[in-house]
Amino acid sequence: MSIPISMTVNGQPVSGSVEPRTLLVEFLREQLHLTGTHVGCDTSQCGACVVIADGVSVKSCTALAVQCDGSQVTTIEGLANGATLHPMQQAFNDHHGLQCGFCTPGMVMSAVDLVTHAPNPTDEDIRKGLDGNLCRCTGYQNIVRAVKAGAEGMRTGMGG
Amino acid sequence: MPRYVRARTLDEALDRLAAGRWRVIAGGTDVFPALADGQPGREDMLDITGLAALRGIRFDESARAWRLGALATWTDVRTAADLPPWFRALKLAAREVGGVQIQNAGTVAGNLCNASPAADGVPPLLALDARVEIAGPGGVRVEPLAAFITGVRRTTLAPDEMVTAILVPDPGRPGASDFLKLGTRHSLVISIAMVAVVLWRDEAGAIAAAGVSVGSCAPVAVRLGALEARLVGQPPGTDLAALVHESDGDALSPIDDVRASAAYRREAALTLVRRSLARCGEAAA
Ligand SMILES: Cc1cc2nc3c(=O)[nH]c(=O)nc-3n(C[C@H](O)[C@H](O)[C@H](O)COP(=O)(O)OP(=O)(O)OC[C@H]3O[C@@H](n4cnc5c(N)ncnc54)[C@H](O)[C@@H]3O)c2cc1C
Ligand code: FES
Ligand code: FES
Repeated sequence: MSIPISMTVNGQPVSGSVEPRTLLVEFLREQLHLTGTHVGCDTSQCGACVVIADGVSVKSCTALAVQCDGSQVTTIEGLANGATLHPMQQAFNDHHGLQCGFCTPGMVMSAVDLVTHAPNPTDEDIRKGLDGNLCRCTGYQNIVRAVKAGAEGMRTGMGG
Repeated sequence: MPRYVRARTLDEALDRLAAGRWRVIAGGTDVFPALADGQPGREDMLDITGLAALRGIRFDESARAWRLGALATWTDVRTAADLPPWFRALKLAAREVGGVQIQNAGTVAGNLCNASPAADGVPPLLALDARVEIAGPGGVRVEPLAAFITGVRRTTLAPDEMVTAILVPDPGRPGASDFLKLGTRHSLVISIAMVAVVLWRDEAGAIAAAGVSVGSCAPVAVRLGALEARLVGQPPGTDLAALVHESDGDALSPIDDVRASAAYRREAALTLVRRSLARCGEAAA
């Protein structure tokens, strides 16, 4: 049973045909070739796969593609404006918020979602808001700094 | 190949359940991680997330109870502005469930139906005397949560039934509640022990009724009835933590596993109970 679906991803209408058990992340990576959304685990724990669907952050390994039929989805590829990085991306770059970069797409998406809901987060808010994202490299300190700067950048509408 | 159906109405969902075997999907945060093992992916999936009637949290006048629709998420609970202060235990539990994305998708009802011994929703709702509203081919039945969960991943739900709401009775008196959870990390871990305390006060401020429950320390979260009885009648200002006896731990049957030993779990649970009682006592005194 293959099911036709269509959704808006990063502002573009897309469609495809999926098996019921196809996860959103599989659809994004394998059919749309949007490989910026990572898969770091098979237990829904790591957060490397976080995208924003209809205004809320979700783990795209924990949603079926069919469930997102008709949804508006933003992935890491949808943040930058041409060659200009999104303030949160710029802040991760400036503040060394990554090492290997594997967790980064999910971290940035969770951070953008966090700042959308709390424009001026404290360190504690940031740590709590990134509870669902694991990083094996940075020790998190620079991620917290980056998100603070990214929040500032998002408030002022500039790169971090 | 398994089927996927997104139900549009409760009746349609119930008709499907009556006609075949389906895995109900709410937030999917318990079901989908298991897809990686290939097991639930073999089942037909009935997605109930489109059932608008099951959304939201509201006060039901006739039942004198707060009604959490089966699709109410942890984020809904965490951000609900109009809940009375004694909902604190459930709100604290909501903040501790699995990180923001899991809170956005995961439902409280799914947490109960999944019936994990470590389900964070169970101790607060057990201590609050919550009931579960269940719809099936024969109509609607309401059952105390304490009876609904019968064992590890076992409930009284029949294959043709589904949960439509969780009802939390409002006794109409001042109350305070608290929730504490112990794990090796703040989030993304299975709890070693968690505790919920609910204290109801009479006009004089004495404890009129109490609920104390412990999760992760038995196949199903348990209430410490003897301790609850000891708490009732205590005047304001009492050192409630001192009322906890070592023997209150006899109601628990914790396991030894990689996360903690049984002895540690029992000790930790009683420590959390004492702390929670102290925090609740301060809040309501
Ligand atoms: C990374 C991660 C972290 C987590 N952390 C925690 C945690 O800290 N604490 C915790 O308690 N849990 C945790 N969980 C488990 C899970 O998120 C919760 O149990 C959640 O509340 C489940 O709700 P759901 O809507 O996603 O359930 P689903 O996965 O949709 O369903 C769970 C089960 O309940 C059944 N079901 C759901 N709704 C109904 C209904 N209305 N009627 C009948 N049956 C129904 C389903 O068929 C299934 O068997 C975590 C999960 C993940 C992936
Ligand atoms: S891939 Fe790890 S949480 Fe989704
Ligand atoms: S930068 Fe390597 S996992 Fe986070």
